[in-house]
Amino acid sequence: MKHIITLSAAALLLATAAHAEPGKWTDEPVRIVVTFPPGGTSDLIARLLAQYFETEYGQKAVVDNRPGAGGTVAADYVSEQAPDGTTLILGNNAPFTIAPTQFDELPYDPIADFTHIAYLGASTPALFVQPSSGITTLDGYIEKAKGDGITYGSSGVGSITHILGKAVDIELGIEQIHVPYQGSAPAIQDFRAGVLEAYYDMVALNGDLITEGETQPIALAAPERSAKYPDIPTFRELGHDIVIENWTGLSGPAGMDPAMVETINDTVAEIMQMPAVIEQLDTFGVAHTPMESDAFTGFVEGAITTWEPLIKAANVNG
Amino acid sequence: MEILSGFGNGLLVAIEPVNLLYCFVGVFLGTFIGVLPGIGSMAAISMLLPLTFYLEPTSALVMIAGVYYGAEYGGSIASILMNIPGTPSSSITCIDGYPMAREGRAGTALFASAVASFGGGIVGMIVMAVLAPGLAQLALNFGPTEYFAVILLGLVAASAVSNGSPVKGITMVVAGLMLGTVGVDITTGAERFTMGIPEMRDGVHLVIVAMGLFGVGELIVSIRANATGAHQNEIDYAQFYPTRAEWKAMFAPTVRGASIGSFFGALPGTGQTVASAVAYAVEKKVSPAKARFGKGAIEGVAVPEAANNSATQTAFIPTLTLGVPGSASMALVIGALMMYGIVPGPRLLVDHSDLFWGLVASFLIGNLLLLVLNIPLIGLWVRLLKIPYRYMYPTIIVLICVGVYSINNNVFDIWLTLAFGWAGYLMRLFRFEPAPFLIGFVLGPMMEEQLRRAMLLSRGDATVFVTRPISGTLIAITCLILIYAISSTLKARRARQKAQVAGE
Repeated sequence: MKHIITLSAAALLLATAAHAEPGKWTDEPVRIVVTFPPGGTSDLIARLLAQYFETEYGQKAVVDNRPGAGGTVAADYVSEQAPDGTTLILGNNAPFTIAPTQFDELPYDPIADFTHIAYLGASTPALFVQPSSGITTLDGYIEKAKGDGITYGSSGVGSITHILGKAVDIELGIEQIHVPYQGSAPAIQDFRAGVLEAYYDMVALNGDLITEGETQPIALAAPERSAKYPDIPTFRELGHDIVIENWTGLSGPAGMDPAMVETINDTVAEIMQMPAVIEQLDTFGVAHTPMESDAFTGFVEGAITTWEPLIKAANVNG
Repeated sequence: MEILSGFGNGLLVAIEPVNLLYCFVGVFLGTFIGVLPGIGSMAAISMLLPLTFYLEPTSALVMIAGVYYGAEYGGSIASILMNIPGTPSSSITCIDGYPMAREGRAGTALFASAVASFGGGIVGMIVMAVLAPGLAQLALNFGPTEYFAVILLGLVAASAVSNGSPVKGITMVVAGLMLGTVGVDITTGAERFTMGIPEMRDGVHLVIVAMGLFGVGELIVSIRANATGAHQNEIDYAQFYPTRAEWKAMFAPTVRGASIGSFFGALPGTGQTVASAVAYAVEKKVSPAKARFGKGAIEGVAVPEAANNSATQTAFIPTLTLGVPGSASMALVIGALMMYGIVPGPRLLVDHSDLFWGLVASFLIGNLLLLVLNIPLIGLWVRLLKIPYRYMYPTIIVLICVGVYSINNNVFDIWLTLAFGWAGYLMRLFRFEPAPFLIGFVLGPMMEEQLRRAMLLSRGDATVFVTRPISGTLIAITCLILIYAISSTLKARRARQKAQVAGE
């Protein structure tokens, strides 16, 4: 009974201030579907959310890992669930912005079949090269790529780091040799074994290697420099408009109650402001940007269009 | 003597009551999870992850590690008793463990597996304590070229695994390799043999193949045997303690298996399954008892168990010292550590030496606990076989379905397991060996990936395989094995012909 009152109160508030009271939105336990197996950043963020939903707001929540086919298995599953707020997906670029271009047939529509509830934040990839190569600037990198050519590792065909590599190819007018890996960890391992000349990966996951001089960051694909690594220039300030971020956000099946969406959005926004959470996300290199349902939907739509030519250039569809 | 003092300190950390408790919880839960078919350490660790938020990092790590190697212990139990691999890597244990059980030697097989696992665990621990920094460095020097060479070596050794006709053996290796190509090609992103099914894009999961071929296939065979009036195995409960001769036969294979396992465990990306597959293949090549392999050889149980258990310990080397997780479970370990703000990497040994050595020492305690826990339970496990089939089979089918579903939480995988069950049944009917198939399936995709990556990196120059020192050496060894295999086959044939001539 209580949640109905909260909801109607929320609806009232919505009419006046367009903001809901953060809190529990359903008496049923909520499942947060994650597109990866347990252990990755995405999974940890989902578990963090689930924990705070329960301890701070009494909203029972569990994490449900449904990995497979670049997140499309999970997205397909969620799109077919009831839009009652009990099934949510911690989405990212793979099933929502890459898959629509990458796969010929997709069992769902990333916009029409979902309610995009709250954008959480993004981590940024950068270009890294061997310190022994002597290359420290993007110009030096271009020169090397145009001369002897250069091999770079990505975390897989059609992954965000591969797409970034393609964007760099197009924007800088070079042709790097792409060497795909299954995730960034094995790519970094080969890099450290000296067989790989460069790689693209999330900056935050390379903090130790940077400080120990084991890897040389060249340029960051963020709109602005990172507060934690202020020495790394952005592609944009070097005159190349390349911004590709690894975003994550919370979505549900299409047709969710707007009042409930507000409640979830505001609950998530409040959690994301908690110092302990900010600190935790910082270790994953995820910076939070609040973005509500409408803006988030627009963002996903925009990303599909912007990335389409890059994904096609990456020729990931065979 | 930095290692001894480090280990001493670690022992003090590990025997703190709270760590001891979580070590016990870990290995106990691990064994239990391992016995359940298909539900591996992954599922157990991810369920425990939220609990670890409330623990000290060392206790959490000790517990997670306990689950991890405890599952390897438990995994062999279902393999031996029911021919259902409890964990992917114990699918190799099925090959000889189940025939032993059918001969009424289930108790002996379980005992051998427990002792070999213990031996493997201890070897793995020593390797980790003594060689962690060095091995981490070696693993760091392993590029795609070296990986390809070492896997090629394993596959060549594996070609000796088949017992029956060589044609059928090769057919099975090739079939395994072919099944391994299903899914999105890692190098180009092209879909191969997916038939437009999204679930097939990631290929076929090893657990599905193993559970289908061994578990479901075996059930169909048994049901048919029952229908034709065969009897349930008679088991001699008193005899699970191996004979003197069996002890002797087990010793060297355990040491060899543990050494091979330690090596593969420390290489990120290979892991326990590859370790036990290669160890089994090598043992089959060098063992004086090679003719009995696949028919219930105690060595065939000891080797993969020693190998997978030592690999579980050394898997922590790249995980902790390089921050490179060798498997999904190890990725969870890294995730758990990152929750505490501990970044695994070269500095972990220095910055968190208590954690590192506490973990190493906990391996000793955990393995002892497992031995103490498991030996008395052998009688109980064996008694499981006494359960009438009409209760046992439906239970097994349910457990298989639950286990397979738990991998991706996807019903499609259950149907696929059923299909492989029929394939396994047909293979048995026509006497095709599952072992070479499984080994081809495990090693094939990895070999292809590394080969193509090495060629990309060398920009099409194939000579890198012989010019790089580590890979060159490995290729040379592979060639020697091939030459030896061919010449010994020829010699045997000539001897046979001579004997025939003499006989006439």
